[in-house]
Amino acid sequence: MTRRRALIGVAAAALSLAATAEAAPGIPVRIRVIKGSRQGPAAVDPRLADLHPQLSRLAYSRWEQVGEQQADMDFKKPVAVALPSGERLEIEILESRKDTVTVEVRVPAYRTTSRLTLSKDKRLVQQVTPEKGGEAYFVTVRPWP
Amino acid sequence: MKDCARYLPLLGSRPGELEAAERAALEGHLAACAACQGRLADLAALQGMLGEALAREAARRDFTDFADQVMARVERRRAGALGAFFRRHRALAVGTALAPTLVAAALIVYLELRGAAAPGIEVVSEQYAPMVIETDQGPLILIGDGDDSEGT
Amino acid sequence: MVILPSKLNFPAARRVFPMDLDDQGLVTRARAGDAEAFRSLVVRYQRKVYAVALGIVRDPDLAWDVAQETFVRVHRHLGEFKGESAFSTWVFRIASHLAIDSVRRERTSAKDDLEEAGEAALAEGGEGILATALGTNPQESALRRELLDKIGEALDRLPEIHRTILVLREVEGLSYEELAERLDISKGTVMSRLFHARKKMQALLRRYAGLEARGEAGEGEP
Repeated sequence: MTRRRALIGVAAAALSLAATAEAAPGIPVRIRVIKGSRQGPAAVDPRLADLHPQLSRLAYSRWEQVGEQQADMDFKKPVAVALPSGERLEIEILESRKDTVTVEVRVPAYRTTSRLTLSKDKRLVQQVTPEKGGEAYFVTVRPWP
Repeated sequence: MKDCARYLPLLGSRPGELEAAERAALEGHLAACAACQGRLADLAALQGMLGEALAREAARRDFTDFADQVMARVERRRAGALGAFFRRHRALAVGTALAPTLVAAALIVYLELRGAAAPGIEVVSEQYAPMVIETDQGPLILIGDGDDSEGT
Repeated sequence: MVILPSKLNFPAARRVFPMDLDDQGLVTRARAGDAEAFRSLVVRYQRKVYAVALGIVRDPDLAWDVAQETFVRVHRHLGEFKGESAFSTWVFRIASHLAIDSVRRERTSAKDDLEEAGEAALAEGGEGILATALGTNPQESALRRELLDKIGEALDRLPEIHRTILVLREVEGLSYEELAERLDISKGTVMSRLFHARKKMQALLRRYAGLEARGEAGEGEP
């Protein structure tokens, strides 16, 4: 029984590695930097319409896209993203499978790291700077945009 | 043509939508204008096509999970209403988050999603108290306010 | 630590309501807390609500989300539905409101561009061509089937204000007065905007069908 389990485990691991290796190279990822603000009249940058369900849950009334990059990200090769406020983010794909990627977002300036698995139809919206003067920056990451 | 321009916006009206005088003037114009008769014929020929085209587009989409997703959303709003709570009581939430006992302590938020292959979310912050809001479109991770956020 | 519910369990065996149970009957049950009755209402209108949203937002994912949110709002406000209008009318009103709201920023830029267009320029050429090509029985015309597949593409190319008014008029069936109220514009603007929207749609359809009229407005024109 134990040996059988071990064999199944090895087979599963091999399959898992195969799936990872197959899907690993060049995963298209859309990364956008957005600014949320409490000041001024309510306004949402039309380029952020797809994020409305997530952004509308927050207390900010103005949303503006301040940066965007789209890249084919390689497995374990972090992409650096500079924020207008001077901080720098690192976004890295740790693992990928057929329909999911595991992403890590690091914000060294605030010693914050998040790690999560996103499926094809999902996007991460993460606050990456603390709110200052009623404003905060967010990053949104969407695999296979 | 000058006359037509005056009547063009009136074409495609339904019974009862125009004033009596407008209706009478339009009918008078139509009786004598072949171009506007053609325009009216085009409107009639295309009648209903937009709705039908959109219904076709909708029919191509798989709605198997739609109702389940709606019900899950409804339940989520009803049970947690965390998004609304967060909007209304953000100061309280953040105030708690920035309590001295939490500052400089590593905090790990692990969101255990109930369901078959649901992934986990891990957020580690030495300085802030992160909060995770799960939505149908994906997670929303918040780290809270900075030191100068009095009253927010 | 924050733990949020992500998936809720619903009864594995669902009660199926007969198709002839009218909306009001299901609404009454749903209002009393019958989740399956509400679910039946969702299933009954999901595609049409999605179609209305898609017509306005032209993004399948966003339309899906708008449609879902529509039913969440319907559920939340079910107690306020007095039955003065049809349930479907109420649902579509919420759907189009949410759809318009989700793309409202786009509207501002498109509006200036189009509302100032000269009527005379738009009135030129093509009168009756589509009607003639579609023949005496448009319902059975091969061209009609072809054009049905092209309407989505044409909608994609219309400014949001024109898509919106066409969907509200042709799909939701609103009157001039209702359009004026919903869009917060005058009745005159309703008629003018509707005319421009139809004219542009017709011009695009004529182009797809290879029926371009002499002197037809160019691609970038309203």
